[in-house]
Amino acid sequence: MSMIRRLIIVVLATLSSVWLAAQSDPLVEALRKYQAGDLAAARTLIDEAVRLPAHVEDAEAWLLRGFVYKDIFKGATDSGIGDLLRDEALASLYTSIGLDTAGSYRENAAQAYDFLARSYFNDAAKALNDMDHERALAMFAKYKEATYRKDPEADLRSREVEFINALGTVYTKLFNMERKDTAWFEMAVGSYRLVLELDPENYGANYNLATLYYNRGVYNIQRINADDEIPSILEIQSASREFFQQALPFMLKAHDMNPERRETLLGLEGIYYSLQDQNNSDKFRQLFEEIAPEER
Amino acid sequence: MTARLRRLILFTPLFLFAAIPQQPREAEKDTTAILQANYLYNIAKLVEWKDQDMRTGNFVIGVIGSANLYQELIKQYSTRTIGKQPIEVRKLPRSPEVERCHILFVGRSDLALLPEIYKRMQDQPTMVITEYAGALEDGAIVNFVKVDNLLKYEMSMKNAQKHRLVMGLTLKNLAHRVEE
Repeated sequence: MSMIRRLIIVVLATLSSVWLAAQSDPLVEALRKYQAGDLAAARTLIDEAVRLPAHVEDAEAWLLRGFVYKDIFKGATDSGIGDLLRDEALASLYTSIGLDTAGSYRENAAQAYDFLARSYFNDAAKALNDMDHERALAMFAKYKEATYRKDPEADLRSREVEFINALGTVYTKLFNMERKDTAWFEMAVGSYRLVLELDPENYGANYNLATLYYNRGVYNIQRINADDEIPSILEIQSASREFFQQALPFMLKAHDMNPERRETLLGLEGIYYSLQDQNNSDKFRQLFEEIAPEER
Repeated sequence: MTARLRRLILFTPLFLFAAIPQQPREAEKDTTAILQANYLYNIAKLVEWKDQDMRTGNFVIGVIGSANLYQELIKQYSTRTIGKQPIEVRKLPRSPEVERCHILFVGRSDLALLPEIYKRMQDQPTMVITEYAGALEDGAIVNFVKVDNLLKYEMSMKNAQKHRLVMGLTLKNLAHRVEE
């Protein structure tokens, strides 16, 4: 039995005399069912309890409701239903915190609330791993909303940077799967640029954005075939040059931040090579070659 | 031989000796090789070889150095024809003793071979294409140049004439520089 559950029992036990006199109180029944592990029955009873005038402004009742919904959410297999249960749990815990002027249950309610808010972030990360960018965005928005509701001054910048960087990587992967669809490219660029607005010194976003631009330029050239004549070669090169030039400052920045990283040395070598700047390309190739093989 | 080529030849082996062996660039990311291959194909289409024996059989493109260019030519152009002549791409050994070919490309890693190649090729109907500053003065017919971060080409009408090649007007108009 968790500490939180034990605490609830202790708290409610202090009121046992009152509850014994009121055997039909759905709050008491809900607690019993909850303790017995019958979450479905506990849910029905606690929903009934919080509608009663006696409990509608009762911090304990809302705390119990938050815990019941939290536990049902944890067992939910359908993500849509799980999201609704989690929302209810968060709303109940938040109500409990607001009603608990004496602060008797605040710590327990806040811990459970933070756990559920964090679970939104974790679900956003999981959705990104599954390449489900829409769910990831929805989950991250829920995470922010839940966090700011409890603490409007919360600083979520590092979480935001982490999430948007990963989102950019998902968009990049989607673009790499279907390169004719440049919407993914634009979304990836937008993601990395947003990260750099929040954190200009972010190594990953600088490197990823540079690589994204560089690969787009290379991809244009890779499409050249025997049907292309000299004028179109010049046009394709000019278009690619724009991407290589856009890649360069971000790769240089990433290199400045970490001069020993092999990928930025190779990145710069490749960008300069594609910009037909052999001297600089050779310079960065040489720097790469000078790194001991085991460090590469 | 220009002073620039002499300098390149003098310094290249020294550099190669001093350097740690380099990992080759991935062919699919070698943008210069992709561009050069297409240029070679288009140039071949826009030039006329006056010698009768060059107008039959395979159209041979020889490559010395630049493995990625060779690979790109094989991948994209080896099933094509120039007129009625099927393209044959040959990777040639690093030697100035070059077989008969319509186009001979010598990459920057093998510039040391060029003085001898120019000498041996001076009466041959072979278009020597390379990639160093001053190549037209030395005897190349087409030379790749880097201009404003773009790969372009320059050409010598005089050298083409010596090798009995007629350079098309389109090729001339699209060149970065033409030496008459």
